[in-house]
Amino acid sequence: MARIRILFESGEPKQIVEFNPADAPFQHDGQSGSILDVLLGHHIHLEHACGGNCACTTCHVIVKQGYDKLSEASEQEEDLLDRAPGLTPTSRLGCQAVVEDADAEIVILVPRYTINQVSESRDE
Amino acid sequence: MSGEPGAGRRPSYQARIERILDHAQDTRSLFLRIVDGARPRWTPGMFISISIPLADETRVRPYTIASSPEDGEPFEIVFNRVTGGAGVAWLFERKAEDEINFTGPFGAFTLERAPERELVFIAEGTAIAPIRPMLRRVLEQKPGPPVRLLYAADRADHLLFRNEIERWAMTHPQFQFETIIADAGHEALYARIIAEVKRRWVAADGDRTRHFYVCGVGAGVLRIRDVLRGAGYERRAVRYEQW
Repeated sequence: MARIRILFESGEPKQIVEFNPADAPFQHDGQSGSILDVLLGHHIHLEHACGGNCACTTCHVIVKQGYDKLSEASEQEEDLLDRAPGLTPTSRLGCQAVVEDADAEIVILVPRYTINQVSESRDE
Repeated sequence: MSGEPGAGRRPSYQARIERILDHAQDTRSLFLRIVDGARPRWTPGMFISISIPLADETRVRPYTIASSPEDGEPFEIVFNRVTGGAGVAWLFERKAEDEINFTGPFGAFTLERAPERELVFIAEGTAIAPIRPMLRRVLEQKPGPPVRLLYAADRADHLLFRNEIERWAMTHPQFQFETIIADAGHEALYARIIAEVKRRWVAADGDRTRHFYVCGVGAGVLRIRDVLRGAGYERRAVRYEQW
């Protein structure tokens, strides 16, 4: 079984998901078997404003362990990650990073903020 | 807000459909006004994530804001029917005065202000939605760079906002607007676009300082990206959004 440990920068309690990558997809958003797919399919929310279609960076996660157990990032994903706040060398978009190893041990950190949202205004 | 672990604290909005405009039998705009007075701000190119209640679940689907921040409310989204598209099917069932819920605006394909170099927009069909407010923004910039729009569709009535864009072309001498209509299928349409891109901005000269904003449907968008970057345009000067 593969395992993803999810840490939240917001301070929410960490979560652990165990799953068999061969059972993917677990729901309908993002690449089949992606971190987003796994989390949503196990009732753990991860922002995905564009519906998991690689058109925003709201599902940005920082991979703390197991980066090499994920699919390679496409040019399109890299282009989007360029615009993600808090970009790190092990940043990925949850909707695109597919867990490929059946025994993968992955740790991700979900950042608190994203630049993809403009704050609301009540004074205009 | 969801009570699931990891659920964010993003503000959500409730908007009322103030007006419906059919551009074609399969293409529609909704004009939305926030119900409770709290108004989102956005940058040209951003989208909202609309909650689509289906039979057994609620899905979130993105719809680009096709109107300009400068115009405020009501703001406009535009969409067309797609095979198997549950989100747009639900939206087509909405009536004036109905209310929808959304979060955002979001987006990485945005343009706050024009670069100093020539700016080329390439769009297809409803993917003119993010380009329209970008165009408005850069054309109002003084002094502004030369701006070109190559807009393609399979049918004339799928070229949205055409009269408005033609008026801009007449009143802004730095702006050139050209269209492609090709009804031989999606692949053929993108083959035409790519041929035009190569002819105009790859083979015609050695200038590689232009900036490009490309929006369309499917892998053709990535092929346009690859043609431009492969020809020597700076990676960050070729911006795109693939629907």
